[in-house]
Amino acid sequence: MNKPTGAVISAKSSTKKSIIDFLEKAMDKGVFDAVIVPMRVPAGDSFAYVLIKDKSLFKDAFPIPPVMFVQGAKAVSSVTRLGKGNMKIAALMRPCEIRATIELAKLGQTDLENMTLISMDCPGVLPTSDFLSDPEKGMKQFDEAAKNLDDKIMRPVCQICDKSSMMAGDLHIGTLGAKKDTFFVISNSQKGNDILDKLGISLKDNIDSWHAKVKNISEEKLKKRKKAHKDLKSEIGGLDNLLDAYNQCINCHNCMRVCPVCYCRLCYFDSDNVKHPSEDYLQMAESKGSIRFLPDTIFFQMGRMMHMSLSCVSCGACEDACPVSIPVAQIFSMISDETQGLFDYVSGRSLEEPLPLVAYKEEELHEMEDAND
Amino acid sequence: MKKDEEFMPRILAFLCNWCSYAGADLAGTSRLKYPPSILPIRVMCSSRVDPLFIVKAYLGGIDGVLLAGCHPGDCHYEKGNYYTRRRFALIKKIFEELDMEADRLLLSWISASEGPKYAKVATEFTEKIKKLGENPAKNKIFL
Ligand code: SF4
Ligand code: SF4
Ligand code: SF4
Ligand code: FES
Repeated sequence: MNKPTGAVISAKSSTKKSIIDFLEKAMDKGVFDAVIVPMRVPAGDSFAYVLIKDKSLFKDAFPIPPVMFVQGAKAVSSVTRLGKGNMKIAALMRPCEIRATIELAKLGQTDLENMTLISMDCPGVLPTSDFLSDPEKGMKQFDEAAKNLDDKIMRPVCQICDKSSMMAGDLHIGTLGAKKDTFFVISNSQKGNDILDKLGISLKDNIDSWHAKVKNISEEKLKKRKKAHKDLKSEIGGLDNLLDAYNQCINCHNCMRVCPVCYCRLCYFDSDNVKHPSEDYLQMAESKGSIRFLPDTIFFQMGRMMHMSLSCVSCGACEDACPVSIPVAQIFSMISDETQGLFDYVSGRSLEEPLPLVAYKEEELHEMEDAND
Repeated sequence: MKKDEEFMPRILAFLCNWCSYAGADLAGTSRLKYPPSILPIRVMCSSRVDPLFIVKAYLGGIDGVLLAGCHPGDCHYEKGNYYTRRRFALIKKIFEELDMEADRLLLSWISASEGPKYAKVATEFTEKIKKLGENPAKNKIFL
Protein backbone atom coordinates (compact mmCIF):
# COMPACT_ATOMS: atom_id res chain seq x y z
CA MET A 1 0.00 0.00 0.00
CA ASN A 2 1.09 3.55 -0.59
CA LYS A 3 0.89 6.12 2.14
CA PRO A 4 -2.62 5.68 3.54
CA THR A 5 -5.20 8.24 2.58
CA GLY A 6 -8.04 9.54 4.66
CA ALA A 7 -11.05 11.70 5.16
CA VAL A 8 -11.75 14.50 7.60
CA ILE A 9 -15.00 13.98 9.46
CA SER A 10 -16.48 16.76 11.50
CA ALA A 11 -17.62 15.80 14.94
CA LYS A 12 -21.13 16.90 15.80
CA SER A 13 -21.05 16.87 19.57
CA SER A 14 -18.08 14.92 20.84
CA THR A 15 -15.59 12.82 18.93
CA LYS A 16 -16.75 9.80 20.88
CA LYS A 17 -20.36 10.39 19.85
CA SER A 18 -19.41 10.91 16.23
CA ILE A 19 -17.40 7.70 16.11
CA ILE A 20 -20.40 5.85 17.43
CA ASP A 21 -22.60 7.57 14.84
CA PHE A 22 -20.18 6.37 12.20
CA LEU A 23 -20.55 2.76 13.37
CA GLU A 24 -24.29 3.10 13.59
CA LYS A 25 -24.51 4.43 10.08
CA ALA A 26 -22.40 1.54 8.86
CA MET A 27 -24.83 -0.86 10.48
CA ASP A 28 -27.79 0.95 8.90
CA LYS A 29 -26.23 0.53 5.50
CA GLY A 30 -25.61 -3.13 6.16
CA VAL A 31 -21.83 -2.74 6.02
CA PHE A 32 -21.60 -4.42 9.43
CA ASP A 33 -24.12 -6.72 11.08
CA ALA A 34 -22.65 -6.32 14.53
CA VAL A 35 -19.93 -4.39 16.28
CA ILE A 36 -17.50 -5.27 19.05
CA VAL A 37 -16.89 -2.22 21.22
CA PRO A 38 -16.01 -1.46 24.83
CA MET A 39 -18.92 -0.58 27.08
CA ARG A 40 -19.00 0.80 30.58
CA VAL A 41 -20.66 -1.60 33.00
CA PRO A 42 -23.79 -0.33 34.74
CA ALA A 43 -22.01 0.25 38.07
CA GLY A 44 -19.56 2.44 36.20
CA ASP A 45 -16.48 0.94 37.78
CA SER A 46 -15.32 -1.21 34.90
CA PHE A 47 -15.44 -1.66 31.13
CA ALA A 48 -16.11 -4.74 29.06
CA TYR A 49 -16.11 -5.62 25.40
CA VAL A 50 -19.58 -6.33 24.06
CA LEU A 51 -20.83 -7.61 20.72
CA ILE A 52 -23.62 -5.18 19.83
CA LYS A 53 -26.39 -6.30 17.55
CA ASP A 54 -29.10 -3.96 18.79
CA LYS A 55 -28.27 -0.43 17.66
CA SER A 56 -30.12 1.20 20.52
CA LEU A 57 -27.36 -0.01 22.80
CA PHE A 58 -24.78 2.06 20.99
CA LYS A 59 -25.45 4.95 23.31
CA ASP A 60 -23.53 3.10 26.03
CA ALA A 61 -20.57 2.23 23.84
CA PHE A 62 -17.29 3.71 24.99
CA PRO A 63 -14.46 3.82 22.43
CA ILE A 64 -10.97 4.05 23.98
CA PRO A 65 -11.89 3.53 27.62
CA PRO A 66 -9.42 4.52 30.34
CA VAL A 67 -8.55 0.92 31.21
CA MET A 68 -8.05 -2.40 29.46
CA PHE A 69 -9.73 -5.07 31.52
CA VAL A 70 -9.70 -7.69 28.79
CA GLN A 71 -7.33 -7.40 25.87
CA GLY A 72 -9.57 -6.90 22.83
CA ALA A 73 -7.87 -9.60 20.78
CA LYS A 74 -9.26 -12.10 23.25
CA ALA A 75 -12.75 -10.80 22.61
CA VAL A 76 -12.37 -11.03 18.84
CA SER A 77 -10.87 -14.49 18.94
CA SER A 78 -13.59 -15.84 21.18
CA VAL A 79 -16.15 -14.72 18.61
CA THR A 80 -14.36 -16.16 15.61
CA ARG A 81 -12.18 -18.96 16.92
CA LEU A 82 -14.45 -21.63 15.52
CA GLY A 83 -14.66 -20.03 12.10
CA LYS A 84 -15.75 -16.82 10.55
CA GLY A 85 -19.53 -17.25 10.62
CA ASN A 86 -21.59 -15.34 8.13
CA MET A 87 -22.07 -12.09 9.97
CA LYS A 88 -19.94 -9.11 9.17
CA ILE A 89 -18.48 -7.81 12.39
CA ALA A 90 -16.46 -4.69 13.09
CA ALA A 91 -14.21 -4.38 16.13
CA LEU A 92 -13.12 -1.01 17.45
CA MET A 93 -10.01 -1.37 19.53
CA ARG A 94 -6.62 0.05 20.48
CA PRO A 95 -3.71 -0.55 18.09
CA CYS A 96 -2.04 -3.13 20.35
CA GLU A 97 -5.32 -5.05 20.52
CA ILE A 98 -5.63 -5.02 16.73
CA ARG A 99 -2.03 -6.17 16.41
CA ALA A 100 -2.59 -9.03 18.82
CA THR A 101 -5.67 -9.99 16.80
CA ILE A 102 -3.56 -10.14 13.67
CA GLU A 103 -1.03 -12.34 15.43
CA LEU A 104 -3.85 -14.64 16.51
CA ALA A 105 -5.10 -14.81 12.94
CA LYS A 106 -1.65 -15.94 11.83
CA LEU A 107 -1.62 -18.46 14.64
CA GLY A 108 -4.90 -19.86 13.35
CA GLN A 109 -6.88 -18.67 16.36
CA THR A 110 -9.26 -16.33 14.62
CA ASP A 111 -10.68 -15.89 11.16
CA LEU A 112 -10.72 -12.30 9.98
CA GLU A 113 -12.44 -12.73 6.65
CA ASN A 114 -15.74 -11.27 7.79
CA MET A 115 -14.17 -9.05 10.39
CA THR A 116 -13.27 -5.39 10.01
CA LEU A 117 -10.63 -4.15 12.40
CA ILE A 118 -10.81 -0.47 13.31
CA SER A 119 -8.04 1.05 15.38
CA MET A 120 -7.81 4.44 17.04
CA ASP A 121 -5.02 6.71 18.17
CA CYS A 122 -4.31 5.52 21.68
CA PRO A 123 -3.30 7.76 24.57
CA GLY A 124 -2.44 4.73 26.74
CA VAL A 125 -4.41 3.05 29.50
CA LEU A 126 -4.37 3.46 33.24
CA PRO A 127 -3.04 0.58 35.30
CA THR A 128 -6.12 -1.34 36.40
CA SER A 129 -5.37 -1.05 40.10
CA ASP A 130 -5.00 2.73 39.86
CA PHE A 131 -8.35 2.98 38.15
CA LEU A 132 -10.08 0.65 40.58
CA SER A 133 -8.92 2.58 43.61
CA ASP A 134 -11.20 5.43 42.49
CA PRO A 135 -12.98 4.93 39.15
CA GLU A 136 -14.56 8.41 39.00
CA LYS A 137 -11.25 10.08 39.63
CA GLY A 138 -9.65 7.72 37.15
CA MET A 139 -12.10 8.74 34.44
CA LYS A 140 -11.33 12.40 34.96
CA GLN A 141 -7.60 11.92 35.19
CA PHE A 142 -7.60 9.84 32.04
CA ASP A 143 -9.58 12.40 30.04
CA GLU A 144 -7.32 15.17 31.19
CA ALA A 145 -4.14 13.21 30.44
CA ALA A 146 -5.42 12.05 27.04
CA LYS A 147 -6.26 15.61 26.09
CA ASN A 148 -2.79 16.82 27.03
CA LEU A 149 -1.00 13.81 25.52
CA ASP A 150 0.44 13.23 28.95
CA ASP A 151 1.37 9.60 29.51
CA LYS A 152 2.79 9.76 33.02
CA ILE A 153 -0.20 8.10 34.68
CA MET A 154 -0.52 5.38 32.05
CA ARG A 155 0.81 1.82 32.17
CA PRO A 156 4.62 1.80 32.09
CA VAL A 157 4.60 0.07 28.69
CA CYS A 158 2.18 2.70 27.36
CA GLN A 159 4.69 5.35 28.32
CA ILE A 160 7.19 3.76 25.98
CA CYS A 161 4.80 2.70 23.23
CA ASP A 162 5.97 3.92 19.83
CA LYS A 163 3.10 2.17 18.04
CA SER A 164 0.16 3.94 19.64
CA SER A 165 -1.16 5.06 16.24
CA MET A 166 -0.01 2.09 14.24
CA MET A 167 -2.40 1.09 11.53
CA ALA A 168 -2.60 -2.64 11.20
CA GLY A 169 -6.31 -3.21 10.70
CA ASP A 170 -8.62 -2.04 7.95
CA LEU A 171 -9.59 1.39 9.18
CA HIS A 172 -8.05 3.82 11.60
CA ILE A 173 -9.58 6.73 13.45
CA GLY A 174 -7.06 9.48 13.96
CA THR A 175 -7.50 12.23 16.48
CA LEU A 176 -3.92 13.49 16.53
CA GLY A 177 -3.24 16.55 14.44
CA ALA A 178 -6.95 17.05 13.75
CA LYS A 179 -8.55 20.48 13.94
CA LYS A 180 -10.98 21.12 16.76
CA ASP A 181 -14.22 19.14 16.39
CA THR A 182 -12.90 16.94 13.62
CA PHE A 183 -11.20 13.59 13.33
CA PHE A 184 -9.68 11.54 10.55
CA VAL A 185 -10.88 8.29 9.10
CA ILE A 186 -8.03 6.52 7.38
CA SER A 187 -8.11 3.39 5.29
CA ASN A 188 -5.42 0.78 5.49
CA SER A 189 -6.75 -2.01 3.28
CA GLN A 190 -8.92 -2.77 0.31
CA LYS A 191 -11.62 -3.85 2.74
CA GLY A 192 -11.35 -0.44 4.39
CA ASN A 193 -11.62 1.33 1.05
CA ASP A 194 -14.71 -0.64 0.11
CA ILE A 195 -16.41 0.13 3.39
CA LEU A 196 -15.79 3.86 3.14
CA ASP A 197 -16.98 3.74 -0.41
CA LYS A 198 -20.27 2.20 0.64
CA LEU A 199 -20.63 4.88 3.28
CA GLY A 200 -20.06 7.59 0.72
CA ILE A 201 -16.84 8.75 2.38
CA SER A 202 -14.17 9.64 -0.13
CA LEU A 203 -10.53 9.49 0.82
CA LYS A 204 -9.45 12.74 -0.69
CA ASP A 205 -8.72 14.92 2.29
CA ASN A 206 -5.32 16.02 3.35
CA ILE A 207 -4.20 14.13 6.45
CA ASP A 208 -0.60 15.27 6.52
CA SER A 209 -1.09 16.86 9.91
CA TRP A 210 -1.97 13.43 11.31
CA HIS A 211 1.06 11.77 9.69
CA ALA A 212 3.32 14.51 11.00
CA LYS A 213 2.05 14.38 14.56
CA VAL A 214 2.18 10.58 14.65
CA LYS A 215 5.72 10.57 13.35
CA ASN A 216 6.74 13.09 15.92
CA ILE A 217 5.20 11.20 18.85
CA SER A 218 6.47 7.79 17.80
CA GLU A 219 9.99 9.01 17.33
CA GLU A 220 10.00 10.52 20.76
CA LYS A 221 8.51 7.41 22.31
CA LEU A 222 10.99 5.19 20.54
CA LYS A 223 13.83 7.12 22.13
CA LYS A 224 12.24 6.68 25.54
CA ARG A 225 11.65 3.03 24.80
CA LYS A 226 15.26 2.31 23.93
CA LYS A 227 16.47 4.07 27.04
CA ALA A 228 13.97 2.25 29.25
CA HIS A 229 14.97 -1.11 27.80
CA LYS A 230 18.62 -0.35 28.30
CA ASP A 231 18.05 0.58 31.92
CA LEU A 232 15.93 -2.49 32.48
CA LYS A 233 18.54 -4.72 30.92
CA SER A 234 21.19 -3.52 33.31
CA GLU A 235 18.80 -4.00 36.20
CA ILE A 236 17.66 -7.55 35.48
CA GLY A 237 20.58 -8.86 33.40
CA GLY A 238 22.44 -11.86 34.72
CA LEU A 239 20.98 -14.89 36.44
CA ASP A 240 21.18 -13.41 39.93
CA ASN A 241 19.40 -10.22 38.98
CA LEU A 242 16.83 -12.14 37.01
CA LEU A 243 16.13 -14.28 40.04
CA ASP A 244 15.76 -11.14 42.13
CA ALA A 245 13.30 -9.70 39.64
CA TYR A 246 11.09 -12.79 39.90
CA ASN A 247 11.69 -13.48 43.58
CA GLN A 248 8.16 -12.64 44.55
CA CYS A 249 6.47 -14.52 41.76
CA ILE A 250 3.69 -16.67 43.19
CA ASN A 251 3.47 -18.89 40.12
CA CYS A 252 -0.13 -17.99 39.47
CA HIS A 253 0.44 -17.84 35.69
CA ASN A 254 -1.94 -14.88 35.45
CA CYS A 255 0.52 -13.20 33.14
CA MET A 256 0.06 -16.05 30.67
CA ARG A 257 -3.69 -16.32 31.09
CA VAL A 258 -4.43 -12.68 30.27
CA CYS A 259 -1.88 -12.46 27.47
CA PRO A 260 -3.72 -12.15 24.17
CA VAL A 261 -1.13 -14.09 22.19
CA CYS A 262 -0.66 -16.96 24.66
CA TYR A 263 -3.51 -18.84 23.07
CA CYS A 264 -2.83 -22.46 24.04
CA ARG A 265 -5.87 -24.30 25.40
CA LEU A 266 -3.53 -25.94 27.84
CA CYS A 267 -0.32 -24.07 28.52
CA TYR A 268 2.72 -26.29 28.48
CA PHE A 269 3.61 -24.94 31.89
CA ASP A 270 0.31 -26.10 33.35
CA SER A 271 0.54 -29.49 31.71
CA ASP A 272 1.78 -32.82 33.01
CA ASN A 273 5.01 -32.23 31.13
CA VAL A 274 6.24 -30.11 33.98
CA LYS A 275 5.07 -32.43 36.72
CA HIS A 276 7.58 -34.97 37.88
CA PRO A 277 7.59 -37.97 40.19
CA SER A 278 8.87 -37.19 43.65
CA GLU A 279 12.07 -39.18 43.04
CA ASP A 280 12.99 -36.62 40.38
CA TYR A 281 12.50 -33.75 42.78
CA LEU A 282 14.50 -35.56 45.41
CA GLN A 283 17.28 -36.06 42.93
CA MET A 284 17.27 -32.39 41.98
CA ALA A 285 17.27 -31.45 45.63
CA GLU A 286 20.16 -33.77 46.18
CA SER A 287 22.25 -32.26 43.42
CA LYS A 288 21.51 -28.64 44.39
CA GLY A 289 21.08 -29.11 48.10
CA SER A 290 17.49 -27.96 47.89
CA ILE A 291 14.97 -26.78 45.32
CA ARG A 292 12.19 -24.26 45.42
CA PHE A 293 8.48 -25.06 45.40
CA LEU A 294 6.48 -24.29 43.39
CA PRO A 295 9.22 -25.09 40.92
CA ASP A 296 10.02 -23.72 37.47
CA THR A 297 9.52 -19.99 38.05
CA ILE A 298 12.27 -18.95 35.65
CA PHE A 299 11.62 -21.87 33.32
CA PHE A 300 8.08 -20.60 32.88
CA GLN A 301 9.18 -17.04 32.22
CA MET A 302 11.94 -17.97 29.80
CA GLY A 303 9.70 -20.53 28.16
CA ARG A 304 7.03 -17.93 27.58
CA MET A 305 9.67 -15.66 26.07
CA MET A 306 10.64 -18.48 23.71
CA HIS A 307 7.03 -19.24 22.84
CA MET A 308 5.55 -15.84 22.32
CA SER A 309 7.98 -12.94 22.45
CA LEU A 310 7.85 -12.94 18.65
CA SER A 311 4.15 -12.17 18.87
CA CYS A 312 4.14 -9.98 21.99
CA VAL A 313 2.58 -6.59 21.29
CA SER A 314 3.76 -4.88 24.51
CA CYS A 315 0.21 -4.26 25.61
CA GLY A 316 0.88 -4.53 29.33
CA ALA A 317 -2.00 -6.85 30.15
CA CYS A 318 0.35 -9.32 31.85
CA GLU A 319 1.88 -6.73 34.12
CA ASP A 320 -1.51 -5.40 35.14
CA ALA A 321 -2.60 -8.89 36.07
CA CYS A 322 0.45 -9.70 38.14
CA PRO A 323 -0.60 -9.70 41.79
CA VAL A 324 2.91 -9.00 43.03
CA SER A 325 3.76 -6.18 40.61
CA ILE A 326 6.57 -7.82 38.71
CA PRO A 327 7.28 -5.64 35.64
CA VAL A 328 6.52 -8.57 33.34
CA ALA A 329 5.34 -6.48 30.39
CA GLN A 330 8.36 -4.22 30.54
CA ILE A 331 10.59 -7.27 30.51
CA PHE A 332 8.63 -8.80 27.64
CA SER A 333 8.68 -5.59 25.64
CA MET A 334 12.45 -5.47 26.03
CA ILE A 335 12.89 -9.09 24.98
CA SER A 336 10.38 -8.98 22.15
CA ASP A 337 11.84 -5.90 20.51
CA GLU A 338 15.10 -7.81 20.27
CA THR A 339 13.73 -11.15 19.16
CA GLN A 340 11.44 -9.58 16.57
CA GLY A 341 14.31 -7.41 15.40
CA LEU A 342 16.31 -10.56 14.59
CA PHE A 343 13.86 -11.31 11.80
CA ASP A 344 12.94 -7.75 10.94
CA TYR A 345 9.50 -8.62 12.20
CA VAL A 346 6.98 -6.44 14.00
CA SER A 347 4.16 -8.33 15.66
CA GLY A 348 0.79 -7.51 14.17
CA ARG A 349 2.18 -5.14 11.57
CA SER A 350 0.62 -7.06 8.73
CA LEU A 351 -1.36 -10.16 8.09
CA GLU A 352 0.83 -11.03 5.12
CA GLU A 353 4.15 -11.14 6.98
CA PRO A 354 4.66 -14.77 8.03
CA LEU A 355 5.41 -15.61 11.64
CA PRO A 356 9.21 -15.77 11.88
CA LEU A 357 9.40 -19.37 13.02
CA VAL A 358 7.46 -20.74 10.08
CA ALA A 359 9.62 -18.98 7.52
CA TYR A 360 13.32 -18.92 6.68
CA LYS A 361 15.84 -17.69 4.17
CA GLU A 362 18.60 -19.90 2.92
CA GLU A 363 21.19 -17.22 3.50
CA GLU A 364 20.71 -15.62 6.88
CA LEU A 365 21.82 -15.64 10.50
CA HIS A 366 25.27 -16.99 9.76
CA GLU A 367 26.49 -15.13 12.82
CA MET A 368 24.53 -17.66 14.87
CA GLU A 369 26.50 -20.58 13.46
CA ASP A 370 29.73 -22.00 14.78
CA ALA A 371 32.76 -20.17 13.39
CA ASN A 372 34.08 -23.53 12.14
CA ASP A 373 31.34 -23.68 9.54
CA MET B 1 34.00 -30.73 42.83
CA LYS B 2 37.26 -30.60 44.71
CA LYS B 3 39.43 -27.56 44.12
CA ASP B 4 42.44 -29.37 42.74
CA GLU B 5 40.43 -31.46 40.29
CA GLU B 6 40.34 -29.99 36.84
CA PHE B 7 36.87 -28.80 35.90
CA MET B 8 35.43 -31.06 33.23
CA PRO B 9 32.27 -29.47 31.91
CA ARG B 10 29.14 -31.41 31.14
CA ILE B 11 27.90 -30.56 27.68
CA LEU B 12 24.63 -31.76 26.26
CA ALA B 13 24.81 -32.38 22.52
CA PHE B 14 21.67 -32.72 20.45
CA LEU B 15 22.86 -34.53 17.34
CA CYS B 16 20.72 -35.13 14.32
CA ASN B 17 20.47 -38.78 13.39
CA TRP B 18 21.32 -38.40 9.72
CA CYS B 19 24.42 -36.24 9.89
CA SER B 20 25.91 -35.12 13.16
CA TYR B 21 25.25 -38.31 15.09
CA ALA B 22 26.89 -40.26 12.31
CA GLY B 23 29.72 -37.72 12.32
CA ALA B 24 30.22 -38.24 16.03
CA ASP B 25 30.13 -41.98 15.50
CA LEU B 26 32.77 -41.68 12.83
CA ALA B 27 34.95 -39.62 15.14
CA GLY B 28 34.62 -42.46 17.65
CA THR B 29 35.34 -45.33 15.27
CA SER B 30 38.26 -43.40 13.78
CA ARG B 31 39.63 -43.10 17.31
CA LEU B 32 39.91 -39.35 17.09
CA LYS B 33 40.71 -37.65 20.35
CA TYR B 34 38.12 -35.44 21.97
CA PRO B 35 37.20 -34.76 25.59
CA PRO B 36 34.71 -36.89 27.51
CA SER B 37 32.57 -33.84 28.29
CA ILE B 38 29.86 -34.49 25.74
CA LEU B 39 26.59 -36.22 26.58
CA PRO B 40 25.02 -36.97 23.20
CA ILE B 41 21.31 -37.13 22.57
CA ARG B 42 20.23 -38.43 19.22
CA VAL B 43 17.32 -36.59 17.60
CA MET B 44 15.77 -37.38 14.25
CA CYS B 45 16.42 -33.85 12.97
CA SER B 46 17.99 -30.77 14.53
CA SER B 47 14.57 -29.14 14.20
CA ARG B 48 13.21 -31.65 16.71
CA VAL B 49 14.90 -29.70 19.46
CA ASP B 50 12.33 -27.59 21.24
CA PRO B 51 13.79 -24.36 22.68
CA LEU B 52 12.48 -25.51 26.03
CA PHE B 53 14.88 -28.48 26.00
CA ILE B 54 17.72 -26.01 25.96
CA VAL B 55 16.29 -23.70 28.61
CA LYS B 56 15.54 -26.66 30.83
CA ALA B 57 19.02 -28.05 30.39
CA TYR B 58 20.62 -24.71 31.22
CA LEU B 59 18.47 -24.11 34.28
CA GLY B 60 19.17 -27.67 35.35
CA GLY B 61 22.84 -26.78 35.48
CA ILE B 62 24.30 -28.21 32.29
CA ASP B 63 27.48 -26.29 31.42
CA GLY B 64 26.97 -26.09 27.68
CA VAL B 65 24.56 -27.12 24.95
CA LEU B 66 25.66 -28.10 21.45
CA LEU B 67 23.02 -28.33 18.78
CA ALA B 68 24.28 -29.96 15.61
CA GLY B 69 22.62 -30.92 12.37
CA CYS B 70 23.19 -31.41 8.69
CA HIS B 71 24.63 -28.56 6.65
CA PRO B 72 22.04 -26.15 5.27
CA GLY B 73 20.57 -27.68 2.14
CA ASP B 74 21.40 -31.22 3.31
CA CYS B 75 18.72 -31.78 5.93
CA HIS B 76 17.11 -35.21 5.54
CA TYR B 77 13.77 -33.45 5.76
CA GLU B 78 14.92 -30.74 3.35
CA LYS B 79 14.41 -27.64 5.43
CA GLY B 80 14.42 -28.68 9.08
CA ASN B 81 17.75 -27.09 9.79
CA TYR B 82 16.70 -23.72 8.36
CA TYR B 83 13.97 -23.67 10.98
CA THR B 84 16.49 -24.84 13.55
CA ARG B 85 18.72 -21.89 12.77
CA ARG B 86 15.88 -19.43 13.29
CA ARG B 87 14.89 -21.09 16.53
CA PHE B 88 18.46 -21.18 17.73
CA ALA B 89 18.81 -17.47 16.93
CA LEU B 90 15.72 -16.83 19.03
CA ILE B 91 17.07 -18.83 21.97
CA LYS B 92 20.47 -17.23 21.78
CA LYS B 93 19.02 -13.73 21.59
CA ILE B 94 16.92 -14.29 24.68
CA PHE B 95 19.95 -15.57 26.60
CA GLU B 96 21.91 -12.54 25.40
CA GLU B 97 19.22 -10.08 26.37
CA LEU B 98 19.02 -11.61 29.82
CA ASP B 99 22.80 -11.52 30.07
CA MET B 100 22.85 -15.23 30.67
CA GLU B 101 26.05 -16.39 29.02
CA ALA B 102 24.77 -17.10 25.54
CA ASP B 103 28.26 -18.45 24.82
CA ARG B 104 27.25 -21.66 26.51
CA LEU B 105 25.07 -22.42 23.50
CA LEU B 106 26.49 -23.51 20.17
CA LEU B 107 24.97 -24.35 16.80
CA SER B 108 27.09 -26.30 14.36
CA TRP B 109 26.63 -28.12 11.07
CA ILE B 110 28.40 -31.47 11.01
CA SER B 111 27.90 -33.99 8.25
CA ALA B 112 28.16 -37.77 8.50
CA SER B 113 31.60 -37.73 6.93
CA GLU B 114 32.96 -34.96 9.16
CA GLY B 115 34.31 -37.03 12.03
CA PRO B 116 37.32 -34.73 12.42
CA LYS B 117 35.09 -31.67 12.48
CA TYR B 118 33.01 -33.23 15.23
CA ALA B 119 36.15 -33.87 17.27
CA LYS B 120 37.31 -30.30 16.68
CA VAL B 121 34.00 -28.71 17.61
CA ALA B 122 33.73 -30.89 20.70
CA THR B 123 37.26 -30.02 21.78
CA GLU B 124 37.03 -26.30 21.15
CA PHE B 125 33.62 -25.93 22.71
CA THR B 126 34.79 -27.84 25.77
CA GLU B 127 37.78 -25.51 26.07
CA LYS B 128 35.52 -22.49 25.82
CA ILE B 129 33.20 -23.79 28.50
CA LYS B 130 36.15 -24.60 30.72
CA LYS B 131 37.11 -20.96 30.58
CA LEU B 132 33.56 -19.90 31.43
CA GLY B 133 33.59 -22.27 34.37
CA GLU B 134 30.61 -23.97 35.96
CA ASN B 135 27.11 -22.97 35.01
CA PRO B 136 25.98 -20.67 37.83
CA ALA B 137 22.46 -22.10 37.61
CA LYS B 138 23.83 -25.34 39.05
CA ASN B 139 23.77 -24.00 42.56
CA LYS B 140 20.70 -21.81 42.39
CA ILE B 141 17.93 -23.03 44.57
CA PHE B 142 15.32 -20.40 43.82
CA LEU B 143 14.96 -21.02 40.12
S1 SF4 C 1 3.42 -10.73 27.08
FE1 SF4 C 1 2.32 -9.10 28.16
S2 SF4 C 1 2.74 -7.28 26.98
FE2 SF4 C 1 3.23 -9.01 25.63
S3 SF4 C 1 1.33 -9.42 24.50
FE3 SF4 C 1 1.31 -10.73 26.32
S4 SF4 C 1 0.15 -9.56 27.85
FE4 SF4 C 1 0.77 -8.11 26.22
S1 SF4 D 1 3.61 -20.04 27.59
FE1 SF4 D 1 3.73 -21.24 25.73
S2 SF4 D 1 2.55 -23.07 26.18
FE2 SF4 D 1 1.97 -21.55 27.67
S3 SF4 D 1 0.16 -20.54 26.81
FE3 SF4 D 1 1.95 -19.34 26.24
S4 SF4 D 1 2.52 -20.09 24.24
FE4 SF4 D 1 1.19 -21.62 25.14
S1 SF4 E 1 1.42 -12.95 37.11
FE1 SF4 E 1 3.22 -12.35 38.29
S2 SF4 E 1 3.17 -13.71 40.09
FE2 SF4 E 1 1.80 -14.62 38.56
S3 SF4 E 1 3.13 -16.05 37.43
FE3 SF4 E 1 3.17 -14.12 36.29
S4 SF4 E 1 4.99 -13.05 37.10
FE4 SF4 E 1 4.48 -14.67 38.56
S1 FES F 1 17.94 -34.27 9.39
FE1 FES F 1 19.84 -33.39 9.99
S2 FES F 1 19.23 -31.37 10.39
FE2 FES F 1 17.37 -32.17 9.63
